[in-house]
Amino acid sequence: MIQVKNLNFTYTKTKKKAIHDMNFDIHKGEVFGFLGPSGAGKTTTQRLIIGLLRNYTGQIEVLGKERNQWGKDFYEQVGVAFDFPNLYNKLTATENLKLIGAYYHKKINNPDKLLDRVGLLPDKNVRVESFSKGMKMRLNFIRSIMHQPDLMFFDEPTSGLDPTNAHIIKDIILDQKKTGKTVFLTTHNMTVAEQLCDRVAFIEDGRIVVTGSPKELMIEHGKRRIKIEYQLDGKLLETEFDINQLAENKAFFDILKTADVKTIHSCEATLEDIFIKLTGRNLL
Amino acid sequence: MRLLHAVWTDMRFQWKHGFYLVYVLVTIIYLIILSFLPNDILSVGLPLVVFSDPSVLGLFFVGGIIMLEKMQGVLSVLVVSPLRTIEYILSKVVSLAFVSVLAAFAITGFSSYGSVSWLLLFLSTVLTSGIFTLCGIMITAGCNTVNQYIIKTVPYMLLFVLPCFSLTGFPYSDLFTVIPSVAALRLMLGAYMGIPLYEAISLVIYLTGMNYLFMRWAIRVFENKIIYQN
Repeated sequence: MIQVKNLNFTYTKTKKKAIHDMNFDIHKGEVFGFLGPSGAGKTTTQRLIIGLLRNYTGQIEVLGKERNQWGKDFYEQVGVAFDFPNLYNKLTATENLKLIGAYYHKKINNPDKLLDRVGLLPDKNVRVESFSKGMKMRLNFIRSIMHQPDLMFFDEPTSGLDPTNAHIIKDIILDQKKTGKTVFLTTHNMTVAEQLCDRVAFIEDGRIVVTGSPKELMIEHGKRRIKIEYQLDGKLLETEFDINQLAENKAFFDILKTADVKTIHSCEATLEDIFIKLTGRNLL
Repeated sequence: MRLLHAVWTDMRFQWKHGFYLVYVLVTIIYLIILSFLPNDILSVGLPLVVFSDPSVLGLFFVGGIIMLEKMQGVLSVLVVSPLRTIEYILSKVVSLAFVSVLAAFAITGFSSYGSVSWLLLFLSTVLTSGIFTLCGIMITAGCNTVNQYIIKTVPYMLLFVLPCFSLTGFPYSDLFTVIPSVAALRLMLGAYMGIPLYEAISLVIYLTGMNYLFMRWAIRVFENKIIYQN
């Protein structure tokens, strides 16, 4: 779906080289996450693929054609949701969907159904100017998928949403994946990446540090140990055991038999731990 | 089809933000002022008032509209939609020319002015509106605030409006006709005061050509400064 080879990009005005020799592929039906701190080059890469920045060197093949060979028809197959609300404030939710939807050849999905999915149906005839940021972000999101694009770009898709609504948006992204759609999302929210992405790429200073599935990365960079938390003689205690010899570990089984076990956790790394380990930097 | 839809969207946007209400109020104020003018002053005053509507007002209105679109973030959505830059710009030109023509016809129709060539009035209003709307788009493309827009508009106003005074009997006034605003005002004066046919046709052709050039230029500026911001 997307193939990026030896991509380099420098901002003309600031002369700042933002992308350094970047290589990655995104396959059809995959949710691919670009993770990194602010200013790492996530949005720049996304804008290059979307076509909002020109004069790159290297190759960006997207939907079977080099990006700079595409015209405006590209957007018939692509949905983009930015990380800030961009809506006609004086128009209602339905009017916003219908007005932008009319620019596409494809028939727009039932707007009421989409509004209902993100809990905005009761407000469909309310002007957007009275919406909260979360409501605007939800409307933004469904507007980007209403023309049933094959490829979607989401920038911080759960930004500004409460946990319930963030969950709804994540479910919709997973539903899109189930129907074979491809999603490229940028985020610095590790939980979102872990829950949604088939593969992630860590990016720092315009370079990809590592690429892989979240699960594999977490296991590869984690400790093969488990941590057990238990109460014994009125005291709350914590002990770690090696997973490899767990079946023969008498101390472990003694705890299970004699103590009041509170929690048991495996010690795989979090995506944030991996990022810090590989780059020496925090994600925020 | 996309263009028609874009025009409709622009009209709704302008309606919802009260631009049409401002147009109606300005038209009423113009009519009140014109009703107090004696006939000999009205013969010059009316064309100048009608000319100022698509030019001065149009220039500020298109700036206001695009600044509002920028502030609401709508422009960033349109650039990632199938809407072409030329369609976006044409929709602004058409929607603003439409209200300019309505205002020009209303002001002229309700004034007690003698005979008027409605066809020339229509053409001169549309062509004037086009030139100034396209200028407004080029100016706004590089602005982030309303103050910036107002400051950047001043040189354009001086360049386009001051030479119009050459038509008040300035020697070599014909030379100034190369400036689109002067050509537009000549055509508009012709709608009220009469104009040789060959001159009217020449002015219409010249202004159509200038509109085309300004359109190409506006597309270039818009794409460089709004779409590809680097």
